[in-house]
Amino acid sequence: MLRLFAIKNIFTITLFSLVLFAGCKTDTTQDQKKKVAVIVSTLNNPWFVVLAQTAAAKAEALGYEAKIFDSQNNTSLEADNFDNAIASGYNAILFNPTDADGSVVNVLKAKAAGVPVFCMDREVNSTDAATSQILSDNYSGCVAIGKYFVEQMHKQGKYVEILGLVGDNNTWNRSKGFHSVVDVYPGLKMVAQQSADFDRNKAMETMETMLQAHPEINAVFCGNDAMASGAYQALVAAGKANDIKVFGFDGAEDVVNSIKDKKIVATGMQFPKVIAQTAANDADEYFKGKRDFPKKMPVAVELVTQENVNEYMGYGKAPNP
Amino acid sequence: MKSKTIKYIIAIAVIVVIAYNSVYFKKLDEVKAVETAKEFNAATYAQNFWNNKLLPSLNKAIELTQLTAMLSVDTAKIFETYSHALGIGNLRYFLVKGKGQITAVNEDDISVLLQTDITKQTITIATEYVFGNAVRDATGLIDINEFSNTMDFNNVSAELNKIIREKVLPSFKSVVKNGNAIEFVGAIELNKEHLNLSKIEVVPVEIKVVQ
Repeated sequence: MLRLFAIKNIFTITLFSLVLFAGCKTDTTQDQKKKVAVIVSTLNNPWFVVLAQTAAAKAEALGYEAKIFDSQNNTSLEADNFDNAIASGYNAILFNPTDADGSVVNVLKAKAAGVPVFCMDREVNSTDAATSQILSDNYSGCVAIGKYFVEQMHKQGKYVEILGLVGDNNTWNRSKGFHSVVDVYPGLKMVAQQSADFDRNKAMETMETMLQAHPEINAVFCGNDAMASGAYQALVAAGKANDIKVFGFDGAEDVVNSIKDKKIVATGMQFPKVIAQTAANDADEYFKGKRDFPKKMPVAVELVTQENVNEYMGYGKAPNP
Repeated sequence: MKSKTIKYIIAIAVIVVIAYNSVYFKKLDEVKAVETAKEFNAATYAQNFWNNKLLPSLNKAIELTQLTAMLSVDTAKIFETYSHALGIGNLRYFLVKGKGQITAVNEDDISVLLQTDITKQTITIATEYVFGNAVRDATGLIDINEFSNTMDFNNVSAELNKIIREKVLPSFKSVVKNGNAIEFVGAIELNKEHLNLSKIEVVPVEIKVVQ
């Protein structure tokens, strides 16, 4: 009888232990919820805010913990963000670099620590550092803008170009795409080209200076929409807003509205939400074992003009009616 | 003393061997030639693609009137079956062919009426603004992983378009007249999210006036 009681007790204790350990296992899984860091070049520009917030939201929707780190366009702060992310045990980094060359070392640091990096929108100049790079097809987008520019200018006239950050590949991919079309037409002459660092206020000052030196220009091509807004503001102040055509690139909300109001002629619509969601999905697939990612994946950029602007809204497509 | 001398001789011999194997000389122009050979040549790539992949695959082009009819019925399935693109997004490319009659010869394009027993459709064929990725992407025969550099595959598009501007179009433009019957094979770009079948522009790969 006593022996039967002992066996019963042993059975009960074993069962209880199994239940207890099973419970512990569940808790452990929850504790090991993977963490995704979103390191973004700047949160001062609304375009990058959309990029970072979408990446974090998608990572969370996929079941991961996500946190946004702002590099404030500063490579040393970006290095600190990488150090923090690696030390804090983040399992993947969704990364928008500050500098195509300067950021490579940070990506390599993460790679050495076994943390995969998925670049968003801006690229790093290395083919084997990042796990994948999801990039706006800046060149092709500006080919489309260049073609529209030539049509609107009827193949002749004088224009100026306001460039973005000279250390950023996007600046040159956009400029090269635009010139790959426009330079085919000798009647179109670029009389000045200057950088305004993708900054609205700098672009306004640059446009003012350019207008003083070249009051006869017919158009200005800007490497992003913030600069297009700044340039347009300078033209309004100079009383030339109706005489000089402004072309931008990004698909920012205020420029889409300016195109609707027939103030700005055209822009290239990038899709920060598509880029961010693709990067988060890639990280998810990496965690599940996928390794063969395309090193660079372009995301199509669409031309937005006064004819088709109603199909678009800031940072993407307008919902279908 | 004797053993010390031997040690010195051996040490010197080792240093000489290491030094000899550590330094070597090459002609600078030979090194530069090797580096140039490693650089991607977009013009050569484009010409090889044109001759060996694009032209042999033109028989796979879909009749343009048939394509537009099918797109009106089941857009998603037809995009999935017939379109290609190197990247992701809404812009997709199709390899198409057709026969029709020219209704206008414009400065930058020609208008062509495509007519079958049941449909009529007017399209344009680009004769001036030949730019973009339509011809590069439409066949689906280029793999993005072949390119380590973004600018390389951009330059492939530019070189393919250059072939069209310099070799395909001049002979056609010199003879084409309003009312001519023509045959063409080429590429088109369509936006799958906002599909507009009333404004189709073909970038021609082959185009000729027929009797």
